[in-house]
Amino acid sequence: MGLLSEIFSWWGGNTWGTRLFTLRKGKQVGQDEFGNRYFVQKSGVGPLGVPARWVIYPKLSEASQVPPDWHGWLHYTVDTIPTDERYHRRPWQKPHQANLTGTPLAYRPKGSILGKGERAKSTSDYKAWKPH
Amino acid sequence: MAKQLIVDGKPIEVEDGTTLMHACELAGAVIPRFCYHERLSIAGNCRMCLVEVEGSPKPVASCAMLVNDLPPNRDGSPKVVNTASPMVKKAREGVMEFLLINHPLDCPICDQGGECDLQDQAMAFGMGGSRYTENKRAVEEKHIGPLIKTMMTRCIHCTRCVRYMTEVAGVEELGLIGRGEDAEITTYLEQGILSEMSANAVDLCPVGALTHRPWAFAARPWEMETFETIDVMDAVGSSISADVRGAAVMRILPRNNDAVNEEWISDKTRHVADGLKTQRLDQPYIRKNGRFEPASWDEALGLVAAKLKAAPAEKIGAIAGDLAGAEEMFALKDLLTRLGATSLDCRQAGDKLDPKLGRASYLFNSGIEGIEEADAILIVGANPRLEAAVLNSRIRKRWRSAPTKIALVGTKVDLAYPYEYLGAGPDTLAEIANGKHPFAEVLKAASKPMVIVGQGAFARADGLAALSLAARIVLAASAGKDAAWNGFNVLHTAAARVAGLDLGFVPGKGGKDAAGILGPDSEFVYLLGADECDLSKVSPSAFVVYQGTHGDKGTERADVILPGAAYTEKSATFVNTEGRAQQTLKAVFPPGDAKEDWTIIRALSERAGTKLPYDSLKELRAAMYRTSPQLAALDTIEVRAVSGLETLAKLGAQPSSAPFAPVIADFYMTNPIARSSAVMAGMSALRASHQQKLSAAE
Amino acid sequence: MLHDRDRIFRNIYGLHDVSLKGAMSRGVWDGTKFFIDKGHDYIIDEVKKSGLRGRGGAGFPTGLKWSFMPKADVRPSYLVINADESEPGSCKDREILRHDAHLMIEGALLASFAMRAHTCYVYVRGEYIREREALQRAIDEAYDAKLIGKNNVHGWDFDIFVHHGAGAYICGEETAMLESLEGKKGQPRLKPPFPANVGLYGAPTTINNVESIAVAGEILRRGSAWFAALGKPNNTGTKLFQISGHVERPCVVEEEMGIPLKELIDRHCGGIRGGWDNLLAVIPGGSSVRCITAEQAEAVTMDFDALGKLGSGLGTAAVIVMDKSTDIIGAIRRIAYFYKHESCGQCTPCREGTGWMWRVLERMERGEAEKREIDLLFDVTKQVEGHTICALGDAAAWPVQGLINNFRSVIEARIDDYQAKHSRMAAE
Repeated sequence: MGLLSEIFSWWGGNTWGTRLFTLRKGKQVGQDEFGNRYFVQKSGVGPLGVPARWVIYPKLSEASQVPPDWHGWLHYTVDTIPTDERYHRRPWQKPHQANLTGTPLAYRPKGSILGKGERAKSTSDYKAWKPH
Repeated sequence: MAKQLIVDGKPIEVEDGTTLMHACELAGAVIPRFCYHERLSIAGNCRMCLVEVEGSPKPVASCAMLVNDLPPNRDGSPKVVNTASPMVKKAREGVMEFLLINHPLDCPICDQGGECDLQDQAMAFGMGGSRYTENKRAVEEKHIGPLIKTMMTRCIHCTRCVRYMTEVAGVEELGLIGRGEDAEITTYLEQGILSEMSANAVDLCPVGALTHRPWAFAARPWEMETFETIDVMDAVGSSISADVRGAAVMRILPRNNDAVNEEWISDKTRHVADGLKTQRLDQPYIRKNGRFEPASWDEALGLVAAKLKAAPAEKIGAIAGDLAGAEEMFALKDLLTRLGATSLDCRQAGDKLDPKLGRASYLFNSGIEGIEEADAILIVGANPRLEAAVLNSRIRKRWRSAPTKIALVGTKVDLAYPYEYLGAGPDTLAEIANGKHPFAEVLKAASKPMVIVGQGAFARADGLAALSLAARIVLAASAGKDAAWNGFNVLHTAAARVAGLDLGFVPGKGGKDAAGILGPDSEFVYLLGADECDLSKVSPSAFVVYQGTHGDKGTERADVILPGAAYTEKSATFVNTEGRAQQTLKAVFPPGDAKEDWTIIRALSERAGTKLPYDSLKELRAAMYRTSPQLAALDTIEVRAVSGLETLAKLGAQPSSAPFAPVIADFYMTNPIARSSAVMAGMSALRASHQQKLSAAE
Repeated sequence: MLHDRDRIFRNIYGLHDVSLKGAMSRGVWDGTKFFIDKGHDYIIDEVKKSGLRGRGGAGFPTGLKWSFMPKADVRPSYLVINADESEPGSCKDREILRHDAHLMIEGALLASFAMRAHTCYVYVRGEYIREREALQRAIDEAYDAKLIGKNNVHGWDFDIFVHHGAGAYICGEETAMLESLEGKKGQPRLKPPFPANVGLYGAPTTINNVESIAVAGEILRRGSAWFAALGKPNNTGTKLFQISGHVERPCVVEEEMGIPLKELIDRHCGGIRGGWDNLLAVIPGGSSVRCITAEQAEAVTMDFDALGKLGSGLGTAAVIVMDKSTDIIGAIRRIAYFYKHESCGQCTPCREGTGWMWRVLERMERGEAEKREIDLLFDVTKQVEGHTICALGDAAAWPVQGLINNFRSVIEARIDDYQAKHSRMAAE
């Protein structure tokens, strides 16, 4: 991230303050396939009473980029990280996709002018008479 | 005689014969109940209406206890009744708890949610939590027809449906079988219920055990907006409310109107709502080379106006159908009169009614409420059960409440009450009129005799003769009796007929009647929603305009189709068979490009060079009321003396011997809206298969 | 202790001739015409003075009930005799029907005359097939002897018809019986209007138990004073007691009202099985009344008022004796099942409540419950009692209340046992 954008913007991977904090107090525990890096507090406890855990995204700070493998660890739900041997990946887990809202691939309901397809049936529809 | 009571500390006085529940309500208390209904007999089995009466160790079922039957206080002081004491609270909570222990947790999927008596009363009078940890009982589904959806596990055995079907509808098709916990409501024979009034039982059901199958899972009551309007499926003019969500009428429910339909409507009135959404005409069509092509209003009106201007006045004719409102009939008559055309007729069934004979000659003079005072009724050429189901239930109500002699001349049918069958046609009628038949004596002996003449008698070549005989019978039976009572009653089947007759939408000087208009001589025929007439004799070169709402029979011969509005899509005046003018309310907009009917005629008039002098509905109505002031008197009927029948009675024409034929072949398919409805088609098929089964069994 | 000379039912065991001849030799039909000649009001007064209270369970003064009938009415009056005897424990009416029917037929004539009725219907329980046949034979004998029927020797036209039920306890309730006689479902009617006002076919009707009618003849013959001298004040006369259960010799016996229960059982039934120390509980009047403890049973006298004071009732005097071998919870559970099965289903508290009570008792029998559910069950019985159309709701509630009032410790012990067996601690 460019230095200027780190100082003046906050929607990128990290800000200048986060970089400093991570250098001082953070220890990287892993990185996932999207390039998100995960850190844990080296010593002491965070605001939740346990060592703080955080993520730094490669580009845009969009929380839905965190895959389910890391989501549990990041939110203090579980303690196993995907590289841990106790971690079991399930066969039915789909490849992770971040939230597509705001992108060209965003979900559009049927009949939306930004999408395609016919609008869903409504109870106000009537069947017009058509001549034979 | 009055009875004194002290209810919740408030002294009140009530008449003898009042129930304790009614007395408490007069004092302002709210008494919960499930099985009690004003129009049904008292069952007293839900036990929700218990109140405390001081001096009685047990609480008292207030719906069943008459104020007179309370054991009097020794010192003669008024009885003290408490509806909010701890005993009453405990009783109500107890009963509510018992009702809920076996009631399934269906609220989220139950259609009654939002308008459910059990929900409302549980909130207001219940315990607030459940203490029941056993298994709940379940009841098997019953199939009782395409109109009533049953989820009998929800039934709380109030027996309102059983009492309604037995007492009001007159068909004993529902019953409570089994004992104790295993009691269930069923038709036992597992066949569809065939009464035309069956769907009212669904309104009565306080829970979701009986719901309306056509509207299952369609909408929640709070999503819909209610419009109070009038029904046009028959000539009773029942008060209905149309519930609208978005741009569609989701359902039609009855409105209370003690003078006309009490709280009931026929199944046809209720379930045609889906017919308003199918086969709709939503844009004008012009026939080019034998095929209909969509056209704009401009083109269509231009073509019609041109043809209208070109045709000679005596070859122009107009027929108003069964669902036409008074406003459009007035506008059409106005237009044609200005053009010099006098061939217009609202009587597409060939009714021989004539406004010149006076209003009393074509109305239900006693009034529907008057049926409850009649002690002898003669039905001539009518099947009130199919032609006016709600009116028929009124006759049944009268029969149930007091000895009433009912007789029928015409086709022998099942009317849901017993009657004496006198004969098949005008011969019997003539006998009664000449005083030779014993029933003439019955009518003379009655204090309020009634004769009901139906379309089967007056919609034929000798119709006037039959009407005249009926008028003679009434005059003879009314001699020397209460002058305010007029027992001559014409039972119409079409909602538009009476308004048409009131407006004079009948042939003028030198004009042709409906049969003539549809004959080979006409060059321009305007069909205002007329689908029940025979168009086969119209000359192939004649120009036929059809203004209506559905692609029904009228469109087959039409050259131009102008899409109009149905009764829920316009505010129009309809006069029911009693002569009661009522107005519908506009609940939704007509679909697509369709317009309100009077506006079409007004636009046409401008194109045709004879602009009608009204630009708004208000102005049209003002003009209409100037010529026909009785249309302004909404929701009232005027009393017309029996002497008004003398002209009719003196006609003395000779009727033929042909028996009176039935006029409705299929109750569920009598007008274009009903014919477009899938629900009505289903009911028609069910009835046909039932008839087949019955005749096969013979 | 009833002397033989004061006995009314002298052939209750069928040891003597049941025919009309045998009955007349015992004094039945003696002087019936004499009493009829004395007039309607005389008979009603005599029965009132005798203090006879209804023997079908409710104990309403019979003479007073007859006086409610109209003296003049365009509608015919009816007498209906309730021989439905479905109350668990009751078996006295069948003895009368089979062995002493003529007493009942004579009583029916006298009672009908008193209330100005010409027609009587006897509603016999469907299960009593031989009893009904015996009754019909007795009636036929009476018709043949012109004692009843049109233009009989007594000067009061009187017809008596036997109708039988089809297995519903609820048809023993007077208005349900009227519905059943009319051919409809036996579902009780609301009162008011009372049957004396609007009864069978809408006409004034009185419904009486078999025993109440059967004693009418003897009361008249021996005088109301004689009847009133027997028993206790307000609880006069003799009664057929039916003692069943854990006694040495269960039997039906006619005894004086107000006899101490101890004397009744010791003298006529050979005492309690295993002695009075072995007694657990007694249901004194058929399953519909609350049970009484052994202590109370040893001291109580068998009459309406004394048992009423204990919170129980005399009912039909069907005494069910239970010794310590009885699982009292199981017994009341079975009684609760009976009421659930017999509920007609018309009104909400009985239809739903009887099922609920039975299901809770089923679990309590096993101990599969919590102690707080005892109070919940008591509350449920209070919600049923008094809130129903007919007395079946009360009848269903009382046995359960009797159990909880007197044997709560047994229920709690059962619960403790079950929890001990099924808790995790026990498993480990």
